[in-house]
Amino acid sequence: MVTRTLRANVLPGVPATTTSKPSRRQRLCAVTALFLLSACGGGPVVSSRATLNSRYSDEQPSLSSNGRFLAFVSDRHQRREILLYDLQAQQFVSLPNLRGLTFLPESPSLSATARYLVYTSVVRGRSEVQLYDQETQRPLSLTATYDGLVRRPSVSPDGRYVTFETSRRGQWDVEVIDRGPEVELDTPATPTR
Amino acid sequence: MRPRHKIFASIWLLSVLLAGCSAYPRFVGPNVDPSGGGLNSAYPEADPQVGPDGSFILFTSDRRGSRDVFLYDTKNTRLLDLPGLNSLDTLSEHPSSSADGKWIVFTADRQGTRDVYVYNRETQQQQNLTQSLNTDVSNPTISADGSTIAFEANAGGQWDILVYNRVTGRPIENLPLAPR
Repeated sequence: MVTRTLRANVLPGVPATTTSKPSRRQRLCAVTALFLLSACGGGPVVSSRATLNSRYSDEQPSLSSNGRFLAFVSDRHQRREILLYDLQAQQFVSLPNLRGLTFLPESPSLSATARYLVYTSVVRGRSEVQLYDQETQRPLSLTATYDGLVRRPSVSPDGRYVTFETSRRGQWDVEVIDRGPEVELDTPATPTR
Repeated sequence: MRPRHKIFASIWLLSVLLAGCSAYPRFVGPNVDPSGGGLNSAYPEADPQVGPDGSFILFTSDRRGSRDVFLYDTKNTRLLDLPGLNSLDTLSEHPSSSADGKWIVFTADRQGTRDVYVYNRETQQQQNLTQSLNTDVSNPTISADGSTIAFEANAGGQWDILVYNRVTGRPIENLPLAPR
């Protein structure tokens, strides 16, 4: 009955009585497709009214300027990842390519409208400070050639400056990156979302 | 190669080389002020947060014998006073500030109990936001407009995120926090 109803929705011109049970091959294809889709893991599923917390660790929150968006680290999808939650719409915001291109991400920090997301990710066994731009949907390493360990980055609300802890001198100090006057600033007057 | 092509090739090469010499992004560098009045000192610094336009940096440091919160004015290259925020018997960590620098949230460990505090730079008063929570808390953050505070709490044996209204000092209502 379920199969008949679904078929009738997809192909309204086809009488429901013409449907038949899917063959073994069709069922195998469907199961394989579902398995492959679930393995893609292209970020959090945007659902209607999702709960913020899970049965796994959810930690290291960072808020956007108006308190609408909340970025944090979660273990809920079997792999440590950064999630972005819209507190107003009460649902997750998709961050394309982020999950697949980051490894053991930590310490997310958001710019004013959540356009820029700064965090650390492990690259070839070493933590790097990376910046994800929701416009380009790609992460960019800010410390690929930096000499020293890095951790706990923070981005300014406009997205131009980034601070982080550095071990360059043999102890934890504060380092500052000026991304320059040419970067597109993230100001609430020009929201990206 | 024709002379005209040589000129074009030279211009292209020059532009590539000049692009490679771009001054940005630029690392300001962990410059150290041995007097203890600068951003970095002879002691460890941690938890930096940069303000709008890079105008200030909020961080913690061990330079005064206990882990305290400091606010550094990057334009005038000096530390700003935070009266009543730090004390010798308190370990302060994870500071976060509103964009105007008026509100600072941080965790303070006093006699083995850690809570989230909200400090008002104008009144120089601080309020314990999590006094009624019988659980460990960490990593507080405040939105740039000062309206919202989020932090971790481990009431359920794992870290969960709680979101509070800074004005009411209470959790934001109707937010679906619990897992389904």
